[in-house]
Amino acid sequence: MTLRTKTLTAALALTISAGGLAWAQDSTTVPMTAPADAPAAGAEGTGFVATPEAAEEAPATEAQPEAEATEAPAEEAPAEAEAPADEAAAEEAAPADEAAAGAEADAVGLSAGEESVVPVETTEAIPAVEDHARLEAGVEEAVDPGADEDAVDPYGGGTYYGHTEDVAFSFEGPFGRFDQFQLQRGLQVYTEVCAACHGMQYVPIRTLSDQNGPGLPENQVRAYAAELLPIFDPALGEERPRVPTDHFPTIEGAGMGPDLSVMAKARAGFHGPYGTGINQLVRGIGGPEYIYSLLAGYTGQEKEEAGTLYYGNTAFPGGWISMAPPLSDDRVTYEDGTPATVEQMSMDVAAFLMWTAEPKMMDRKQVGLVSVLFLILLTVLLYLTNKRLWAPHKNKLKH
Amino acid sequence: MAGIPHDHYEPKSGFERWLHRRLPVAGLLYDTLMIPTPKNLNWMWIWGIVLVFCLVLQIVTGIVLVMHYTPHVDLAFASVEHIMRNVNGGYMLRYLHANGASLFFVAVYLHIFRGLYYGSYKAPREVTWIIGMLIYLLMMATAFMGYVLPWGQMSFWGATVITGLFGAIPGVGETIQTWLLGGPAVDNATLNRFFSLHYLLPFVILGLVIVHIWAFHTTGNNNPTGVEVRRSSKEEAERDTLPFWPYFVIKDLFALALILVVFFAIVGFMPNYLGHADNYIPANPMVTPAHIVPEWYFLPFYAILRAFDGDVWLVQLVQFVTFGIVDAKFFGVLAMFGAILVLALAPWLDTSRVRSGRYRPMFKWWFWLLAADFMLLMWVGAMPAEGIYPYIALVGSAYWFAYFLVILPLLGVIEKPDPVPATIEEDFNAHYGAKATPAE
Repeated sequence: MTLRTKTLTAALALTISAGGLAWAQDSTTVPMTAPADAPAAGAEGTGFVATPEAAEEAPATEAQPEAEATEAPAEEAPAEAEAPADEAAAEEAAPADEAAAGAEADAVGLSAGEESVVPVETTEAIPAVEDHARLEAGVEEAVDPGADEDAVDPYGGGTYYGHTEDVAFSFEGPFGRFDQFQLQRGLQVYTEVCAACHGMQYVPIRTLSDQNGPGLPENQVRAYAAELLPIFDPALGEERPRVPTDHFPTIEGAGMGPDLSVMAKARAGFHGPYGTGINQLVRGIGGPEYIYSLLAGYTGQEKEEAGTLYYGNTAFPGGWISMAPPLSDDRVTYEDGTPATVEQMSMDVAAFLMWTAEPKMMDRKQVGLVSVLFLILLTVLLYLTNKRLWAPHKNKLKH
Repeated sequence: MAGIPHDHYEPKSGFERWLHRRLPVAGLLYDTLMIPTPKNLNWMWIWGIVLVFCLVLQIVTGIVLVMHYTPHVDLAFASVEHIMRNVNGGYMLRYLHANGASLFFVAVYLHIFRGLYYGSYKAPREVTWIIGMLIYLLMMATAFMGYVLPWGQMSFWGATVITGLFGAIPGVGETIQTWLLGGPAVDNATLNRFFSLHYLLPFVILGLVIVHIWAFHTTGNNNPTGVEVRRSSKEEAERDTLPFWPYFVIKDLFALALILVVFFAIVGFMPNYLGHADNYIPANPMVTPAHIVPEWYFLPFYAILRAFDGDVWLVQLVQFVTFGIVDAKFFGVLAMFGAILVLALAPWLDTSRVRSGRYRPMFKWWFWLLAADFMLLMWVGAMPAEGIYPYIALVGSAYWFAYFLVILPLLGVIEKPDPVPATIEEDFNAHYGAKATPAE
């Protein structure tokens, strides 16, 4: 081996070990951004939302501009979505304008190849075959309003599979990050609205203080845990208030909805060009989009079938859902002053549920990025090593 | 080791001589790593290393995952969420393991199709091929059982459908199915035995991989020309070959690193891309998913399984002739396993004397059609069995069998092959020119 080959080999070894070290560190260190940690002397109130304090106290280094930057794209979406929203509002007053609403939904929709978009009025004519079959099949189903929601189907066919709208969430793409303020708003929506019927049994409450998550101060998390439903403690033999090391409540039974812990991953929202799903790389897996579309997709129509009331919904497969519209404008009051429109709340809670489903997303993307960069360097070094190694045996490369 | 003449291990120091007399392990390593390798191997010969990497990756990540996983129907789903949320780096371990299975199958399919094109299965490498096929079967079994462990909806219903295949065997089917499941239906007993076997089989695969390597180290590697390395003297052999270390190790590692760039991008940025959303819903025996779709790497054979339904005249004929013993369901199962069997029998079905597809003008076309057919079957396997899709699946399945049972045997008789280079050295020099004066 020549000297150069040896140098390359040494560089190679160094790269490998450095890469290994970086990887090992990734799994333990708490990644960068200046946290809104705020020991918050004045923040010991039982209100769980850290938004106002955190916003003020957050060291205005990186967190602030970044949060703004990530919010910018998200802000465009409501503007887009406003049109159908107004339409929906108008519809409530005069439920005659369905055709327009349908057309609107089409206009905002994904490109044609994505999904079969069926205008709203058509869904009325098509019986929700699958849902009914499943309703009959499962005992649990009949009493479980949300459990028969199913992934939006990529295949065409006679049934209405629901329409999922794309939302430019801040956490999409290889460099996407959760918007901490949005997660906090989403937590508020979940707590004040969804938590009545939906549990999150796999999510430890303490993770609310994760810096790559909502990042609430620990004392607020403790106060928040105590306000949740009490938990049965087998050691005590009786119920006690929840503490941060407990999980969110499990909610089951008649009239209750499915668990929301990993809902954002259990509902694939869109499948990409020709069903390849490749747009996951830049536009996310589509689960949060499905949740957003479902919550903001009520048409205002109702129908009764076999004693159960169903509500028209543009996102739900079959077009009719048994969950009553949970959100209405100003259903919650955001402490950071964000207008609580149905679209805003839907988007916030969808982002929050993406976090509950994939709490390590930001860590994972960082590991991915570091690994890819190191592997590219390793590939280049190996390419050069290989070229030099073979050169004496190939006449093309004069040595 | 028999085969290509080359320098063998010579113990140099006193300790080496002492050890060599008692356990010739250094000699084994030396002879394995320094094995003469045809110097004209192209980039399709890198998949072996990628596969070894995959096996090691799966075993290492798997062993750590087992430390945190609980094989019980009430706890399995929660323990996977525990890995994703509480275990240090657990989210990476799990996504590496899940996507590692996909990389494993990408590599094994390319490895198999490379063997089909360059005739690597032909004499004297039939045993290598057969062992490879056994490894492939075990890989499928392992991957299938691994997919059951998270105990999501697709885990449960996939297990129900696949074990149902064994129930289609006439007479003893139901008994076998019950024995596989450990009960009348997929339940805790099933999960436990699948977990146990999912841990065991990778080590069986590891053993077979060693035999696989042993076998082709005995016969020597095939190469793109299909011409054997000259063995009459060491000098001649050296003009056809280069030692595995460092030439092919570095080359393969370069390819592996490049592949890992893509792999880590998928794991880091879209780890659920190849998974199925329904598997994030806990298993529920009361609710059947709208579409039960296996993982992508099973789709070609799943398509063959579904292609032969009761409307196909061949199925009806067989059913009539066998007095209904072979019904449509069992026929489908036979077809699926038959599709892998004909692949394994390729060494005896191919009658051509020319090994490499490079010198077989007619074979080339049929081969690429087979590769396209494989992709077609993979696509149609993911589609619902309605409309035009069953017909496409039937045509694709028919070609798969025709290729092995009709085309391969006939081509050897009717095809006129192109001239084959006399030696590997000749082929290499045609690409890279005659060897210049050695550098050092």
